[in-house]
Order: sequence, then C-alpha cells, then structure tokens
Amino acid sequence: MPKILVVDDEEHIRLLYSEELKEAGYEVITAENGYRLLERIEEEKPDLVVLDIKMVDYNGLDLLQDIRNQFYDLPVILSTAYDTFKEDMKSIAADFYVVKSFDLTELKKKIAMALETRLPG
Amino acid sequence: MIFYEENPAEIVEADAVVGIPSSNEGETIAMTTAQVDKGLLESFPGMRCAIINCDNNSSDGTREAFFSAPGSVPRLYVSSEPGSRGKGRNLHNFFERAARLNPKVLIVIEADIKNISPIWIRNLGTPILKGAGFVCPLYVRHKYEATLTSSVIYPLFRCLYGRRVRQCTAGDYGFSPKLLDSYLNPPFWGQMLDNFGIDIFMGNVALTSRLPIVQSVMGIPKVHRQVEGDWQLSVIFHEVVGTIFDLMQVYDGFWQQVKWSKPTALFGTDLQEVETPLPVDINTKRLHEMFLEGFNKYFGLWEQVYGPTVAPKLQEIRSIELQHFSFPAQLWMTILFDSAVAYRRMSSAERISLLDGLLPLYLGKVLSYVKKTERMSLQQAEEHIENECVMFEENKPYIIRVWTKGEMG
Repeated sequence: MPKILVVDDEEHIRLLYSEELKEAGYEVITAENGYRLLERIEEEKPDLVVLDIKMVDYNGLDLLQDIRNQFYDLPVILSTAYDTFKEDMKSIAADFYVVKSFDLTELKKKIAMALETRLPG
Repeated sequence: MIFYEENPAEIVEADAVVGIPSSNEGETIAMTTAQVDKGLLESFPGMRCAIINCDNNSSDGTREAFFSAPGSVPRLYVSSEPGSRGKGRNLHNFFERAARLNPKVLIVIEADIKNISPIWIRNLGTPILKGAGFVCPLYVRHKYEATLTSSVIYPLFRCLYGRRVRQCTAGDYGFSPKLLDSYLNPPFWGQMLDNFGIDIFMGNVALTSRLPIVQSVMGIPKVHRQVEGDWQLSVIFHEVVGTIFDLMQVYDGFWQQVKWSKPTALFGTDLQEVETPLPVDINTKRLHEMFLEGFNKYFGLWEQVYGPTVAPKLQEIRSIELQHFSFPAQLWMTILFDSAVAYRRMSSAERISLLDGLLPLYLGKVLSYVKKTERMSLQQAEEHIENECVMFEENKPYIIRVWTKGEMG
C-alpha cells in the first residue's frame, strides 16, 4: 500500500486528506509543518508527499527544494489555495500541483499519475 | 581528432575544466574567457582549474584572443584539422582532452555569448560537485524565443525520456566525468553530430544516463549570435530533428519503458534579480507564406507519410486565414510521431525529403503558437506549452504502438 505524507498546517485539511486518501487505499501519515521534514521523510520513507505551499513559519516552495535536493525522485504534489505560486520558478521542481478543494478528485488523479510515473533504472 | 595543441602552462590535471568551442570567434572569445576565468576563481577556490579552447583552426585570431584574455587560470588550446568545421568536432576534442586531466566537473560555454557573467560557472558547475550528472541552464527567454525547443525538443524529450528539462539543448552545460565515456563513444557519428546535433546528443545521453539532472536558474537572457536567414533555419531544423529521430532508434528500449514524466532539481534560485526577456520579432505573414508554400512542394509526401486522416486536416488548416490561423497540437503530435516512425525505415535521401517536408508544418505550428499566445504573459505561454507536453505524454501509447508496428512490418 503506497504511503503518502501530507504536510499542511491546517488540521481540517490533514483530517480531510487522511480520511479520503485512506478510503482510496493509501496509507497516510501527516506533518503539521516543515519542522524536521527531511528527517521524517528519511525515517518514514513515504512514496509521495502532498505539500502545502503556505504554512505559518514555513515556505512550501523552499521545502520543495530541500526535498528535491535530498530525495531526487520522490514525488511531491503542491497543494495550494491560490495558483499565484506558479510565478515562482521554484514550483517547477514539483511533480504536480492541485488547488485545495473539498473535492479530492483532482488530487487523487495526480497522486495516481505520480505513483504510476516510470523511468528505467 | 585533435590536430594541433598548445599547452603553455603544461596542464596535466585539473578538477574543474571549462571548454569553450569556437570557430572564428576572435571578437568575442576574450570576453567570454575572462568571465569564465573569473567565475572559476570565485566559484571553485582551492580547486585546480583549466580552460580549454577547442577551436576549428580559426584564422581570425581566436587562439591569440583566447590566450591574451585577462585572468590567471591555466589555458590550453586544441584545434581540429584545417577545413573541418562544427561545434560537434570541437566538443569531441574537448571530451578527449579533458578526459586526460582527470576532472571532477566539466562545463561547456559557447564562445559567442555577449553577456556571460561569472556566476554562470557557479550555477553550471556546483550541482555536479554535489552529485548531479548534467546541469542545464534556465535562461530568461521570451515566449517566442527558441520555438524549436518549445514545439519539438521539449515535448518530445519529455514524453520520450520522462524528464522535464525545459532548455535541454541551450548550448551551455555542466556535466559529470561519468558521462565522458558515453560522449567519447557515440553510437554513430555523422555530419549532424558535427554541428547542431551535438547539443541534442549531449542532452539525450544525459537523459538516458540515469544520473540526476539539475536545471540552473541563470536569471538573465543569453545574448549571442542569432540564426541568420531561412537557409540556416533549415540546416538547424534538419540536424536537430534528424538527430532526435536517429537517437530514438538507439534508445528505443529506454523510452518505451517511460511513463509520464518527472521534474528535476533546481539550482540558482537564490538569484536576487531576474531580468526581463529580450524582445523577439516574429513575422507571422512570412510564417504563413512558408507554411502555404509547403503544400505546393510536399503535399504528396505528406499524404504518403501521414496517411489519409492527416492530409484532409492539413487541407482544412490551409484554408484558414492568417488572422484565425490554428494548427492543433494533437495533429502536430501525430505528425511528429509518424515522422519519427517513417524516418526509421527510410533511406538517407528519403530522410532529407521527410525533414524538408516537416519544416513548413513546423512553421505552421509555430504560427499557431504565436497566434494562441499573443495576448498571454510569459507564464501563461509556459502553461500552454506544459499542457501540450501533457498531451504528448498522454499519447505515449500511440507512439509505442506505431513504432512497434513498424518493427513487425
């Protein structure tokens, strides 16, 4: 069962994503911010990270750079309330992005695509 | 083959080696060399550095300008034999000579850049020292700059090899010595690799190497000599697209396994200031004329290569006035995929005709892109290209099907 790490400082989003993604057949773990995020990824070895862009005290795009530098091929999906983040070049290091919504159809589609992505070696 | 060498500093080993390929670049190479020299000293203090000018036996004083440029990094000059031309030959000589220096990082910088900054050396070299295999620059580009990259190279490379590298063939790179063996022993060598195909080859090898690729934010546009006239456009188009198609045959075992695509890591996002792109003039009327002229010369070929479903669609596009012109991305994708399959089973002469015929269709696709994005911001135009790339990826099963059907036939 693929393991997904949801990083978001809003508790209701963590709960929503956890419940819906568990129902969809994923194992879900959560983090409320970017504190010790890289160590957490190292320990828990998630198959994919869903990362909030704007968290109190943490910039998701900076965390994305750190993740990509240390875990080159770990899929990361940016989750955001606004799509203005696309103006920041750092966002191109993400596999996908989704705009936050109570309907998780798009998020589930992107998760499936990211987990299906296949490169030889 | 290295025909001539000058190594006044008697360099035998170097950790960071920059190659500057040139062919009669006497006017610009001194400035480029001075900036590279400065960049090496600032970016890699304490490392043994060297700059190699790999030249085409220039007669305009390129060698003298290279050696006399300000700076203190040891320099080495190598040249191909008199009469030989092309960046590919120069780079092959660079690979050959640099390999003997036992380097940790290699960088290629084109000699004709007019606005190179020392930080480019840091941005192209540092990720290699941190473990990357290949570093591509991300220059600030106008939405109408490098349309061959936006319409052909990026969507095809991304869909085939699974890595999102936006400016994979920008001409300047950083790379690991781990790639030297592959670069020194290409699966084939022809006229196309002597010239514009070499950038495609380098990028393609890196994409299939399984080594991490990094894109480096350069923060400014690259100002260098521009393509001159329709003739040079045709040569570039032939060599770039022909090399992509040639290498698709070499790496088909790789790309048939690829599904969707992945991003790369980024470097240089700390740059404080990012310049705006340089303006680009596009002559839509001329693009339209060249597209329409293609019907007189190549419609028979198109019917033959692309079959009965594509030809009527092209006729339909032909009837659209310039003001409302549109060339659907789905049709362009089918044409590119079908061209790659046809190219594979053609003779050398037939391949030239195929690429001749593909050029006006490409110009039609460029015209369509210009019309679609004329009121878009750069970011919106980029999103438009990204969406087209996703469409290429969604249709990956099609190219695999027609490719393998060709094998059975």
